[in-house]
Amino acid sequence: MLRLGVAFAATLYLATAGCAVVRPHERQNLARRTMTEDRQPGHGRFIQHQTGSREGADGGTGEPGGGCGCN
Amino acid sequence: MQLIRPASLAGLAALALALAAGGASPARADGELTMRGVYYKERATRVMQPMLDGRFDVGDHGQATGHLLVDAITSASIAAGNDGAAFSERRVEGGAGYSHELGVYKVGGLVRYSSEPDYTSTFAGVRGAAELFDRNLTVTVGATVGHDAISNAGAPPMVPRREDTLTTYLGSLSVAQVLSPNLIGAVTYDLGYLDGEQANLYRAVIAEGMLVAERHPRTRVRHAVATSLKAFVPSSLTTVIASYRYYRDDWQIDGHTPELRVYQDVGDSAVFGVRYRYHRQDAAYFYEPRYASASPEFLSDDVKLSAFDSHTMAAQLEVAGEAVGLAGRLGEVRGQLVIEYVDQNNRFGNALVAHAALIIPISY
Repeated sequence: MLRLGVAFAATLYLATAGCAVVRPHERQNLARRTMTEDRQPGHGRFIQHQTGSREGADGGTGEPGGGCGCN
Repeated sequence: MQLIRPASLAGLAALALALAAGGASPARADGELTMRGVYYKERATRVMQPMLDGRFDVGDHGQATGHLLVDAITSASIAAGNDGAAFSERRVEGGAGYSHELGVYKVGGLVRYSSEPDYTSTFAGVRGAAELFDRNLTVTVGATVGHDAISNAGAPPMVPRREDTLTTYLGSLSVAQVLSPNLIGAVTYDLGYLDGEQANLYRAVIAEGMLVAERHPRTRVRHAVATSLKAFVPSSLTTVIASYRYYRDDWQIDGHTPELRVYQDVGDSAVFGVRYRYHRQDAAYFYEPRYASASPEFLSDDVKLSAFDSHTMAAQLEVAGEAVGLAGRLGEVRGQLVIEYVDQNNRFGNALVAHAALIIPISY
């Protein structure tokens, strides 16, 4: 648990340290459809459902998995 | 196996296309309707899943989402352990969510309900996000609770009836940072706690040469840390998304899951994509393919609790209507095809997955 916390904090630090501020008008590429996965909720939901019923690992999406008798 | 009637889907498609094509008046809000059909096939299981997803602006600061799907499952399921006899089952799921912007903050909630003859599940959750440092850093927290009611209603009449429940709690913390005009990184940590029946009420294991109902621990603590980096290459109009998830739980399953996706714009109206995902995990501490004794507290030969690895390879093509000569709003309607192949090195065997979707932008 402690190692997980340290890894999370280190990743967070590396991700944010020294970042230049990107202005709203510079973000058109970040708003592209291919950069915003939440534009395909059905696809993502099926993948999570599929892997959740075939793998012992789950999570990492912020969304609840499970919810079916397919275990 | 009975699916949603084709006429119903055709009616929905016609209605959605009419909404997309209509509207000579100025657009006041935007939304999107996606109709998707998925076919999943592996050695002993077939799944057909038609689904409908909607996303709609509500006023200037709100967004509502909803989905409805049907799972039609046919299986001579190794996992279900019903001696290879084929069974068909239908699951219906619906969900809705709403999020509202309050300056740099966004708050929202979601509900989800799923029903099948021997399993019902209800989830509800809340989520809050703050966009900080000129909206370059987004911190999102979420909490979800779920209640499942489980039975073995599909077992033969001579089998004693069993009923149980499962309560699931999920807490999530996510941080996304804009690193440059073409690069964004994110880290998500999920903590899950499950309390209740987690075994399959139909499945049995071989112990002392007999079939014994599997027994799983009633609690499970799950940790997952996922990182991702999304990059757009303007010179080639290529999007590259690399991600990695580390998973660990108190059943002693360790999982490593790296994934790489590449999307290539082809002209203005088509996107081609490929995806590769690798998954490797250790076995749960109580997993055995068969047991010498039936006395251990926990017994399971559930394949997904075994040690294995898998490779997923996928290709995707998305084309806008204007690429096939449609004009105006119909030209913005997109069709999508996805083909996936999963190489699973376990008893489930390999799997083939196909998606076909129609994505319809709507203004109203």
